Amino acid sequence: MAEGTQGFNISNVIDEKLIALDLDVNTKEEMLNALTDLFEEQGKLNDREGFFKDVMWREGEGQTGIGMGVAIPHGKSAGVNETALAIGTSKNPLAWESLDNEPVTVVILFAVTEGDSDVVHLKLLQHVAMLLAHESFVEKLHAVTSPQEMLALLESSPDDYDD
Amino acid sequence: MKLVGVCACTSGIAHTYMAKEKLVKAAQALGHEIHVETQGTIGVEDPLTPEEIAEADAVILAVDIKVEKGRFEGKPTLEIPTSLVVKAPKQVIQKVAESIGK
Repeated sequence: MAEGTQGFNISNVIDEKLIALDLDVNTKEEMLNALTDLFEEQGKLNDREGFFKDVMWREGEGQTGIGMGVAIPHGKSAGVNETALAIGTSKNPLAWESLDNEPVTVVILFAVTEGDSDVVHLKLLQHVAMLLAHESFVEKLHAVTSPQEMLALLESSPDDYDD
Repeated sequence: MKLVGVCACTSGIAHTYMAKEKLVKAAQALGHEIHVETQGTIGVEDPLTPEEIAEADAVILAVDIKVEKGRFEGKPTLEIPTSLVVKAPKQVIQKVAESIGK
């Protein structure tokens, strides 16, 4: 729906191959490694270790858990070829530095190229951030059962949620 | 009341925009008018006009980095981290309203 109204096409930054549901991971590091692998497999990285290091550095800078079981770690890194998103959900609640001090099960990892000036990419990341401001969106996020459903949800508009 | 705000986070990718969306929705829900400027990786968006600033009863700076404040001189200003806005947007707006008696 948002694609038509706002010209957004989420496929510029994420596709089914960058979504992994029900991962059997037990720690933040395991989750971030799994998502970094997805980026690597899809050719989004030129330096896996450099990217991972930049993500972990950002983790040290401040909480990326936004509450309600969701975290949005991000790495702006020279190790990234092309700005992209990866989403993982975990079977097990993961300890994470969060605004509500609760563990997370949904992790949205942002990989951003150093000095990305591609407005389309940055607008898409912005779009996802705005969606996450809505509790009713976050509830739907937790209920997603397939990558296709996830993509459709990401294409919704922040204006679709009235809380 | 009429509010203006600026949101800016460390990397300028996500928190800036979550904070803006939360502030706008909370202000609307509480019956206030708000304009919010974002300063992110993409640059400045929805810049505040001198008129909007002049008309504002108060200023909310939801920022994790230094932003230019000269244009808000003389206005009641609340400066807080973006995380506080993400966590409790309505309370932030209410606090501002109380502090200026609106």
